[in-house]
Amino acid sequence: MLQALEGITTQCVAKQDKGKTGHEWSVFLAPGQIVKAASKLYEAEYSLEDVLALDFEEGFLVLYHFNRWNIEERVTLRVLVSKDNPTVPSIASIFDGADWHERETRDFHGVNFEDHPNLVPLLMCAEDVDLHPLVKTPKVRKSIKDILDLGEVISCNKEMEELFAEAEAEEASDA
Amino acid sequence: MSAYQNLEQMTGDFYTQKFEAAKQDGTLIINMGPQHPSTHGVLRIVIEVDGEYIVRAEPVLGYLHRMHEKMGETQTWGAFIPNMGRVDYGHPMAWNWSYVGAVEKLMGIEVPERAEYLRVIMTELNRITSHLLWWGAYILDLGAFTPIMYAFDDREMLLDILQRPSASRLTYSNFRVGGVQMDLDDKCIEMIKAFIPHFRERLPMYHDLVTENIILRKRIEGVGIIDQDMCRRYGCTGPVLRGAGVAYDVRKDEPYSVYDRFDFDIPTQDSACSAGRYHVRVAEMEQSLRIIEQALEQLPGAEGKHIMDKAPKPAMKPPAGEAYFNTEGGRGKVGIYAVSDGTKVPYRVKLRAPGFSNMNAFAEASTGTILADAVAILGSLDLIIPELDR
Repeated sequence: MLQALEGITTQCVAKQDKGKTGHEWSVFLAPGQIVKAASKLYEAEYSLEDVLALDFEEGFLVLYHFNRWNIEERVTLRVLVSKDNPTVPSIASIFDGADWHERETRDFHGVNFEDHPNLVPLLMCAEDVDLHPLVKTPKVRKSIKDILDLGEVISCNKEMEELFAEAEAEEASDA
Repeated sequence: MSAYQNLEQMTGDFYTQKFEAAKQDGTLIINMGPQHPSTHGVLRIVIEVDGEYIVRAEPVLGYLHRMHEKMGETQTWGAFIPNMGRVDYGHPMAWNWSYVGAVEKLMGIEVPERAEYLRVIMTELNRITSHLLWWGAYILDLGAFTPIMYAFDDREMLLDILQRPSASRLTYSNFRVGGVQMDLDDKCIEMIKAFIPHFRERLPMYHDLVTENIILRKRIEGVGIIDQDMCRRYGCTGPVLRGAGVAYDVRKDEPYSVYDRFDFDIPTQDSACSAGRYHVRVAEMEQSLRIIEQALEQLPGAEGKHIMDKAPKPAMKPPAGEAYFNTEGGRGKVGIYAVSDGTKVPYRVKLRAPGFSNMNAFAEASTGTILADAVAILGSLDLIIPELDR
């Protein structure tokens, strides 16, 4: 079990195959837990690599890549937010580098980061506040279960399991 | 009639106005860039100065934004490789490698041993060109013109070498999923073998000419402190992190390819200042030479060809899934996160640019220094603006 995140309420913790995905720990969190989890990781000497969003039918999946310098134990935090209200609390108060990554994510996908110190366009121009180039059209948008694979599940709540439930059945039929 | 007819426009754009809202009494707000020579591209920094001291700084990005990530979602997996040569003109091989590495991970491809060695040799040669470009331009920023001529003299030799297997001199995109586009010919290997002793002889001259120069030392020593905690908070990697005393290098700490077969050191400096980053980069060029030397020795014994048999076509279809792959670029950790939905067009390609995170630390590092130091700090971060803006 991942020591650094002890005491954080998670939706799902899974261990992924490093050789196949480059990820190690995959942790799904509710939006309310992200700040707490980030400060735990900061205490455990993790540093933030990047923040990005993925556009799925179920909503935006916001990914936070963390890594440590001395021990190789990559952690990916995943927060699923709905399309109607894509809001995640900002972690810029803990990891200053998240400031720009979150602004970029807001530019590209329109994910709103609560309590961000300066959530104005970074790469897009200031006039195009409402233009989000990486939001997909319904035609090409896929479901989360068709694309992502949980890996080896350590603990998972019901909702998350259901989200990925059909994936295995479908993969089997593909093969 | 006044020359300032449109006063509203004279008061600055959105970012200046927003920055001005928190202005203190008696200070001055200036825009450094987007055309300032020391920003090496179109980077703009809004700075509040009190006399000559920087009170606050805010970089404004986006002048070179080309939306590579969207381009990734509109063309085939193979057709995106040339974009990688254009994200970072300084060290494009690392970007090539990160991208094909991520796709290879998705597809479960094993690259032939020989191709791995070719990748190492070309990436390390490219790292030296990247550092030489930085070295010359940095000293130029600080007011000395001659060193860049020496740097480009040596860099020219490297470009002549690199253009043989890659057919280009700047925006390399010769990596392919499953290997590299072309093998090194005998003449090319000969040229590399001649370059190594030549450059070893030149490096002491670089130090005599520049490193111990008292003016340079006064300009960069103790200027622009980015310590370990700042690196962690901002996610700085590469020479910025190693200049703060952390021996973190993706080539050693998350070994990929055949890097674990070479004997090389990770240079570090504890000063965490611009001079620390300067020394790290210059020392890294020597280490790259060591790697190339060993790789050339081991190359004839490597199995396979420069590319795997039946390498995937540009319109390949990796199975649905996600893959993250990172390599050590000239500026730090270059990461590509690729998501496939099983079609021939990527579902998402995320580019993690090291310069983006390094530049993020600039505002904090420059606060309290004098304006001329801002140039010394900017240069010490080794910025490539297309990489920041992507």
